[in-house]
Amino acid sequence: MSQIKELSPQELRIQHNIGYGQKRAGRILEGFQGSRPVIDIERGKYFTESFKQTEGQPLVLRWAKALYSYAQNATVYVDDDQLIAGRAGREGRYGILYPELDGDFLDEAIKSLPERESSPFDITPEDADYIINEISPYWKGKTFHEALAAAIPEDTRKYTYNNDSELSSRFIVNETASFRSSIQWVHDYEKPLHIGFNGIKREAQEKLAELDEFSPVDNTEKRPFLEAVIITADAIILWAQRHAELAEKKAEAETDEKRKAELLEIARICRKVPAEPAGSFYEAVQSQWFIQLFSRVEQKTGTIISNGRMDQYLYPYYKADKEKGLINEDRAEELLECVWVAMAQYIDLYLSKAGGAFNEGYAHWEAVTIGGQTPDGRDAVNELTYIFLRSKREFPLNYPDLAARIHTRSPEKYLYEVAETIKDGSGFPKLINDDEVVPLLLAKGAQFEEAYDYSVSGCAECRMPNRDTYTSPCAYINFAAALEMTVYNGKMLKYGDEVIGLQTGEAEDFESFDEFLEAYLRQQKNFMKHAFIQQHEIIRLRAEHFASPLGSSLHKLCMEQQKDIHSPKIEGGIDLGYFEFIGYGTVIDSLAAIKKVVFEDKRITLPQLREAMEHDFEGYEPIRALVTSAPAYGNNDSYADQIGKRLDRELLEFTKKYSKELGVHLDLRYVPFTSNVPFGKVVSATPNGRRAYVPLSDGSSASQGADRNGPTAILLSNYATKNYDYRNRAARLLNIKLSPQCVKGEEGTAKLVDFIKAWRDLKLWHLQFNIINRETLIKAQQDPDAYRSLLVRVAGYSAYFCELSKDLQDDIISRTEHGAV
Amino acid sequence: MTGTVFNIQPYSLHDGPGIRTIVFLKGCPLRCKWCSNPESQSPYPEVAFDREKCIADKGCRFCEGVCQIEGFSPSETNARLKGRCQQFCEVCPSGALTVYGKEMSPEQILDRVEADSAFYSHGKGGLTLSGGEPFMQGQFALEILREAKRRRISTAAETCGFCDTEVLRQAAGLLDYVLFDIKLLDSERHRLHTGVPNELILSNLEMLFSEFPELHKHIRTPVIPTVNDSLEDIGAISRFLSGRENYSYELLPYHRFGTGKYALLGRGYADIPEKVDDELMAELKKLQV
Repeated sequence: MSQIKELSPQELRIQHNIGYGQKRAGRILEGFQGSRPVIDIERGKYFTESFKQTEGQPLVLRWAKALYSYAQNATVYVDDDQLIAGRAGREGRYGILYPELDGDFLDEAIKSLPERESSPFDITPEDADYIINEISPYWKGKTFHEALAAAIPEDTRKYTYNNDSELSSRFIVNETASFRSSIQWVHDYEKPLHIGFNGIKREAQEKLAELDEFSPVDNTEKRPFLEAVIITADAIILWAQRHAELAEKKAEAETDEKRKAELLEIARICRKVPAEPAGSFYEAVQSQWFIQLFSRVEQKTGTIISNGRMDQYLYPYYKADKEKGLINEDRAEELLECVWVAMAQYIDLYLSKAGGAFNEGYAHWEAVTIGGQTPDGRDAVNELTYIFLRSKREFPLNYPDLAARIHTRSPEKYLYEVAETIKDGSGFPKLINDDEVVPLLLAKGAQFEEAYDYSVSGCAECRMPNRDTYTSPCAYINFAAALEMTVYNGKMLKYGDEVIGLQTGEAEDFESFDEFLEAYLRQQKNFMKHAFIQQHEIIRLRAEHFASPLGSSLHKLCMEQQKDIHSPKIEGGIDLGYFEFIGYGTVIDSLAAIKKVVFEDKRITLPQLREAMEHDFEGYEPIRALVTSAPAYGNNDSYADQIGKRLDRELLEFTKKYSKELGVHLDLRYVPFTSNVPFGKVVSATPNGRRAYVPLSDGSSASQGADRNGPTAILLSNYATKNYDYRNRAARLLNIKLSPQCVKGEEGTAKLVDFIKAWRDLKLWHLQFNIINRETLIKAQQDPDAYRSLLVRVAGYSAYFCELSKDLQDDIISRTEHGAV
Repeated sequence: MTGTVFNIQPYSLHDGPGIRTIVFLKGCPLRCKWCSNPESQSPYPEVAFDREKCIADKGCRFCEGVCQIEGFSPSETNARLKGRCQQFCEVCPSGALTVYGKEMSPEQILDRVEADSAFYSHGKGGLTLSGGEPFMQGQFALEILREAKRRRISTAAETCGFCDTEVLRQAAGLLDYVLFDIKLLDSERHRLHTGVPNELILSNLEMLFSEFPELHKHIRTPVIPTVNDSLEDIGAISRFLSGRENYSYELLPYHRFGTGKYALLGRGYADIPEKVDDELMAELKKLQV
């Protein structure tokens, strides 16, 4: 039987081989799309050289000096055809090095990078030699990674690292602090756009003059901080000037008059910003790009410094230019897209296998936030908001990610345009719900004007740029492993006879489901204990290893107190951290299966189930069929959902009690990036019928294929499993895959808007869609060359399907596609 | 009061305004050869057996003692199993044995429907009663609609029109939207293809038009190869409707999604060509309103 499939606009473009050559940014894109990223060593080189010369000085000052050295020496670029100057590495797609983070195993990692399955990189032999001989040796014994590993107590260590030389992750209670310098972050871009870095420099100089010359703190802490801010401001200004010089040189040699004029304009702008306040939309965009790019040079922030509320802070410039007749929508879109293609060439390089596997498809999240509310609680949508949406429809590049804030009074036009953009099928935008986020920020101590003005950052985090002060990345916890340990009395099949977890009893000993559940909850709590022990050490050690003079200079509280953002405590700050539940659906379904099949219906015994699991259900198909048919999360079935709510509640209770000791909000989050794949690789067959070592369920989504009641049921199960009476909640990431048929035509758009409004009413945090036919994904797997441009929604981001590992591709294919009756 | 329901389907987008939940009631007076829900026709619960899904060859013996898999014939078993159906499918882990049809009360049904109410409120979504022919279980269907109204849930129904006029009249008073099928205007050919003549259907529709002018009528015709895929037949229906108030007319393309289910029920599928000619279908679609 042949069936005519409705195709999404993205699928149609691929089928008809339609590119973006007619656009300037499209031409730039064609020059690098699909090329393998190459490592650029300059950042690693100049930082290492500088750090060798500044030993013994305050860390924040060393960081500023290293930035200055980079600004002075690193190659600068003004690309052909580009309107926006600046890149942080060589032409094409590039990644840069952060040896202060992972220099201890940099030499080893460099050798395996080109071959690794997820997110591979190339490097020239000369550069590899330089890393091995000059960079890596300096950092051995000095990295945060090593200090943390040494500080983690023995008992916690076995949940954290394998016993090997590079301290590879064990994927049980997984620290994520050592593959990035901080969690995702967003700057207050308004400040440098308004006063420029000369203004910031003046501010620091004034504060220097006010220091108490007899105060030990002022002398040893505040003075170096302020000096670092001044050096950093000089550095970014110098760096921009060097771009201006290059543009002038290029203009001189340019024979095409039109391009010559463009280059001279670039030069003029780079002479002005970010030193001085931006005076036009073009200047503001260039200034923001310099700041953002220099932030990447400063630090490896997990998943990149986000772009913040671009439709808000750029709007005054757009509006003024438009009133003067200097700009129109097309020009604004062109300038933004020039930034997008520049962004897309920067690749977030993770050297550790865990980092690479967590962020597959070269993920980075410099999310642009649009929509939402103004600081005084009115709807914030403006003309520029629609230009961001239009750009994603007309030029759906993987970067930057786009986050649309939704609230009760979001205008219909906005909701419809958001829905139309989702329908394109490339996964943009993701939706973040003000009606959930704002009250939670208030409950955690924010003022209304701060809470209304939050920016989406990273996957699904929400930051208040001048109020958030927590930068320590936190643990990803594999609770499916806790479940496995409950079945095997503290052991995991992957790790043989080693007892890792608690010995909560053999499968033969459990007489009721409640006993089994209590045993699981003890394992769960034990994992939490070790995660928090890790975190305690992470918080303690970070300030000794990381500083961020640039980021701190853009933070109100840091400037007031003259403290680096990494300081363990900044007065008045709100420390929003989180820990991650990996395998939520897997654990719920496994517990529901045991409850139903073993203890309630008594169809099989727990030892029988364990035996089937030990054999990965090979030869035990009837048992697998039995457990698979048990109630599952994602179907709005209270049988399973009540279990989910209980697990969630126990974790909230734990963090409510113990995060105080850490002095931060360590909230429960369900946002796996792509880590449900590597975490799955250590967990053998689970009681819900999941096969050994395949991916765990992702985020707060149902187990792959277990949601049989359509997309409304997944939202309702999410709603049912949340404990709204606790404030210790962070994001839940929710993937919905719909067939293009579901959203066909104007009526389809209207019904997608209805769906989004229901999601908003349910106060769920996050939502994103893949609008695609399963057949398309399978064809792309078979014929990658024809589908290079196929974007799919992965976790909190979209990535090129063909750049994902086979495991992750399979995982995405296996997410249930919802059609409609 | 209870009735027999064979499916409740949330997130339905193509059967009335907004996002809807369809409640399928079992039993239909028609026997359309192309019916895509053959499990909906009999008013009683039925056991279906899917040989593909059965894992008896992999050592599954969970249904032993309830039935013999060897030589299993669904239709025979249906006869023997009346009244034990539920037990029969509950033992089967693979889904090879399923039961179409479950006794439910209007309150139970509305509890399920209301669970999705967040998705109705912004559009004009709500409950759609379908079948089978929902008004074959007339009083039960009316009680479901009354319960929906009590809960302020928007209502729609899909009917073949072959039902008690008084039931339909009462239902129409409780409905916000009706989807009404007309297959053929020629009564004799209607009887030939569906098993019943069409006079009652047409008079019921006339009743809806004359007595319920406020109720929107969405008239639909499934276009079936060799049955009504002609300009004459579709044109006749279109002319029959034209000039009336407050209706829309839609042609439903023929599909064969239901063929597999015939086999599961131990029945054969009628000899109908695979599809309507594309050009002809395009021509016919011009008659939609």
